[in-house]
Amino acid sequence: MAVVLAVALAALPGVAIGRGAARQTATNRARAPGPRSADLATVMAEIRAPGASAVLVNVWATWCDPCREEMPEIVRFYRRHRADGLRLVLVSADDPERRPEVARFLAKLRAAGARAFIKTGDDMAFINGLDARWSGALPASFLYDGHGLERHFWPGPVTYRELEGRLAEMAGPGGTTNPMAKGHP
Amino acid sequence: MSFAAFTLVTTLAVGSASSPASASAATGPLSAGAPAPLASTKMKSALDGKLVSIADVAGKAGTLVIFTCNHCPFARGWERRIADLGNAYAKKGVGVILINANDPAKYPEDGFAEMQARVKSLGLQVPYVVDETSNVARAFGASVTPEAFLFDKSGKLAYHGTIDDNHKDPAQVGKRYLKDALEAVVVGKPPAVAETKGIGCGIKFR
Repeated sequence: MAVVLAVALAALPGVAIGRGAARQTATNRARAPGPRSADLATVMAEIRAPGASAVLVNVWATWCDPCREEMPEIVRFYRRHRADGLRLVLVSADDPERRPEVARFLAKLRAAGARAFIKTGDDMAFINGLDARWSGALPASFLYDGHGLERHFWPGPVTYRELEGRLAEMAGPGGTTNPMAKGHP
Repeated sequence: MSFAAFTLVTTLAVGSASSPASASAATGPLSAGAPAPLASTKMKSALDGKLVSIADVAGKAGTLVIFTCNHCPFARGWERRIADLGNAYAKKGVGVILINANDPAKYPEDGFAEMQARVKSLGLQVPYVVDETSNVARAFGASVTPEAFLFDKSGKLAYHGTIDDNHKDPAQVGKRYLKDALEAVVVGKPPAVAETKGIGCGIKFR
C-alpha cells in the first residue's frame, strides 16, 4: 500500500511538491520536527549534546511497516519522559526526495521537541558508528544515558514496555548513572 | 560482529566504555569461513517452478546466496544489478541462488506470482526461490534485504554483506563490494573486503 502510494506520488511530482509544501507549513504550525539531512557526525552530536538525561535514537523509514507500527510506542514513551530530559532523535533512512512524506508522517506524531533527520552519507560508517552489532535492518533503536554512553540496542521493533524497562534499569541501582533522578527521585 | 570490534566502536564513540551496551535479540550472521547451512533444503524456484537447494546450484568457482525480496525499496533499487551480477557470474562458474524469506502474509507483493513476474522483467537466469519457513534465512543469520553471502570454491564464506555503496543510483556507485568479491573468488583469491553493511529492510520472518 505504501509502495503504491509512493509510486502514485512520484508519478505526480507537481502534486507531491504542492502537498509537501502544505504539510511543511502544517508541520511548523504544530511545532513538530522538520527533517534536516544528517550524517553520522550530526547524529552523534545530537546524542552527546549536553542537557539530556537520556537519549533514544530510532532509525526508521516511511515505507517500513514495522517502523511505522512501532512509532506510537516510541512517541508514548517520549511524551512520558520528555519533561524529565529524555531526548528523542528520529533518523529517517528515506531518500531525501521523500522529505515531504517524512515531514507529513512526523507532523502526525505530535512529538514536539523530537529531533528529526534524514540520513545522508555512507551507510556502513553510519551503521557501525551507531553500533557494530547492527546489521542495517530497519527499524533499529538505541538508548543512551545522559553522558552519551550507549546502554541498549534493539535490532527490530521496540515496545513501550521494553523502553520503560531499559530506562528503569539505567536509573536503577545496577546502573552507572541515574538519568531520571531529577524527574523521579 | 566480534566483541572486540564492538568494544572498539563503543570506546571511540564515548571515550570511555565501562561496559558494553546490552542488546535485545541480536543474533549474528555466519562467520567468515563458515559453510552454507541448510544447503540441502529444497526450495521452490520462481524461475521454473522446480525445487532447488543451495547444494544443487553450488558452483565450481564459488556459490552466491542472496536474500532478497520484491517489495523492499532497497531490494528494488538493487534488483537490476543483482540480476546482472547473478546472470554474469553464473556463466563464470559461480552457483547463484536468490532467496526470498519474507512472509507474503505481511507483504503480498513478496508472493510467488510476483517473484515469477520479477524473474521475467529482470531476465533472471538463476533460481529465485521461496524460503517457505524462513528457516534458511535464520540459519544464515540473515536479517536484511538484500544481503549477500558468497562462498569460495571450497564452500567457505568469503564475503558477506551488501551489493555496493549506492542502492539508488548505479551511476553514483563508488565501491562495488559484491562484484569485487566475486572477481576475487572466481580467481581463487580472498576478497579484499570480506564484510560490509548497508541499510535495508528487515526480513519479515514467518
